[in-house]
Amino acid sequence: MTGTSVAPDPGTRSGAGGGGRGSPRAVRQGLSEKALGRIFISPSIALMSLVALFPVIWAFVLSLYVYTRRQPEGFGGFDNYVTALTNPRFWDSLQFTFVFTLSSVTLEFVIGMGFALLMNQAFRGRGVTRAAILIPWVIPTVVAAQMWFFMFNVTPGFINTIFGLGNFNWLGQSGTAAFAIIFADVWKTAPFVALLLLAGLQTIPNDVYESGKVDGAGPAARFFHITLPLLKPAILVALLFRTVDALRVYDLPQVMTRGAFDTESLSMLVQQYVVRTPNPGLGAALSTITFVLILGIGIIFVRLLGRDLVIGREEGK
Amino acid sequence: MVWAIGGADAQPGRVHQQIAQLWSEENPDTPIRIEVLPEDADGQREQHALELQAEGSGFDVLGVDVIWTGEYSENGWVESLEDVRADIEAVTLPGPFNSATWGDELWAAPYNSNAGFLYYRTDLVDEPPTTWEELCEVGAEVGAEEGIAGFVAQGAQYEGFVVNWLEYYWSTGADLFNEDESAVTFDVDAAVEVTEWMNDSLGDCFAPGFNTAQEEEARNEFQAGNAVFMRNWPYAYGQIQDDEGSPANGNFDIAPLPTFTGTGTISALGGFNNAVSAYSNNTEAATDFVVWAATDPEVQTLLAEESLPPTMASVYDDLAGDPVMSLLGEVLADSLPRPPSPAWNEISVEMQRALFPAYNGDADAQSAAESVREYLESTIQ
Repeated sequence: MTGTSVAPDPGTRSGAGGGGRGSPRAVRQGLSEKALGRIFISPSIALMSLVALFPVIWAFVLSLYVYTRRQPEGFGGFDNYVTALTNPRFWDSLQFTFVFTLSSVTLEFVIGMGFALLMNQAFRGRGVTRAAILIPWVIPTVVAAQMWFFMFNVTPGFINTIFGLGNFNWLGQSGTAAFAIIFADVWKTAPFVALLLLAGLQTIPNDVYESGKVDGAGPAARFFHITLPLLKPAILVALLFRTVDALRVYDLPQVMTRGAFDTESLSMLVQQYVVRTPNPGLGAALSTITFVLILGIGIIFVRLLGRDLVIGREEGK
Repeated sequence: MVWAIGGADAQPGRVHQQIAQLWSEENPDTPIRIEVLPEDADGQREQHALELQAEGSGFDVLGVDVIWTGEYSENGWVESLEDVRADIEAVTLPGPFNSATWGDELWAAPYNSNAGFLYYRTDLVDEPPTTWEELCEVGAEVGAEEGIAGFVAQGAQYEGFVVNWLEYYWSTGADLFNEDESAVTFDVDAAVEVTEWMNDSLGDCFAPGFNTAQEEEARNEFQAGNAVFMRNWPYAYGQIQDDEGSPANGNFDIAPLPTFTGTGTISALGGFNNAVSAYSNNTEAATDFVVWAATDPEVQTLLAEESLPPTMASVYDDLAGDPVMSLLGEVLADSLPRPPSPAWNEISVEMQRALFPAYNGDADAQSAAESVREYLESTIQ
């Protein structure tokens, strides 16, 4: 740009070298604002790609090679994907993972919403209630899993004792084992959902409710016509976080059942082929499949979320 | 130096820590520190694998389960101990010694051995049973009278289940492979019989929660007085004996495990060997340490005192008056190793996948046994 611009006549600008800075032409000199921005941001993008993308690409490359017990045997194309997708274990674990995700996220949302509404009320002892609700979320998942293993197990059998169920074998039967795992997850993560929703609730101005009241809206009408629509961004964020998290569940079923009684999750299968009975190619293929699955679901959420945020902003103008 | 061994804090008397301390006092130039790995074998192997796959020098001495020898040597993770073979072989029991070899080469130094016992309540049963059927008959009958369970063991889906299942299966006289692991001799009929017997015993002689119990759950049940019989490792003996509040305390004894044939006893050989990591920066000192732990009478006696069976033959002679040690000497002579094949982990996982649902009645025992046979065949071709 500097080369093409016409040089100003030095004679007309004598002694006013600094004045050029203010002229519109001088602003256009050098790189545009956009280009500068790109240059400034490029190191971070490079670093982020290195950290975030490299392992994914590496796993994909690894998944194209065939191994026998850690020993590479050569390039196999999509052999590992065929092996993974034709293995009934993959479909069994996919089914458990989906059932787990769907039921735990639904329950966590409903219970978390209840908690959030409760915590949003002004009443005596609100601080204590908030702390009590948040305690399960602070406990590390493995610790919670071990705790619920003891609770549900026949011995010492706290749950059976409390409910007078005798020797009911929660963790030793299909169905109830999955129930126990979902229960533990809901107990642990509903507070997290509550926290996210509470943050959203607190951004809703009180006068909206007051004008609703004046217009004659009852509590239910206020919840469905004011709270839910205005809370939508927070709800989508909560559901996105929880869904993505639940899809890669590992520690709860690993500690509570070790995958027995149809409670093997996708991540447990990945872990088995990466570490326990090592087959790096198959393990990488399984983890790539898991990644694509989670990415796909994540993108759907972000699309919904993005559109919603844009609409919200335009309406706000 | 770092010694990566599992369950170091859970061992009675923290015996590994005692031994590490003893070495560090005697060898102040090359002290050793324990890196405490998880209690369960799968967890320990994972920790080893993560470090060794990355060729990390973080671990110098590895506590290696007897079934990992083949895999670790095939992966080039451990140093050969052929140079010190003579010292170790001269003082070690043959079973544990063989468990440290793969392809006729010594890859680890035996450290502690292990075998299964039958624990029984002397106040409820006069004589320990000699067959599994008898155990279940007596267990169900006495248990019903007392309002307690018949038998607790390791019935959850993990390696311990395979160990227990193999003890039943081996005790019918059947085996998995021939001598040199060149042919599969898996007996489908015996496997079906054993699996169906387990299924029949569930909810009858087997304790509630049998299919979610590992070693500690079983011990807690027996120690709390909730079972007539228990299959467990020797470590439980000292723990029950030390628990004065336990109904089993003073009212229990140990016997060799029963069989299906009614003669002799069969136990799966357990235990740990110490190997020198191939990526260690202290190979020489690490080798000295593993040899010392295998051959020093003080170390091996210390293990015996904490009910962790030693591998040194002379310790059993010295402690012949001790009921646990003298019975162990007997049982170890009749113990069988799980195949030390590099594929053992895959085989074990396949056996769990097939046999566990079958014994729980969620799958057909016949097709489960057939799939195990097929899998075993696929590992030798």
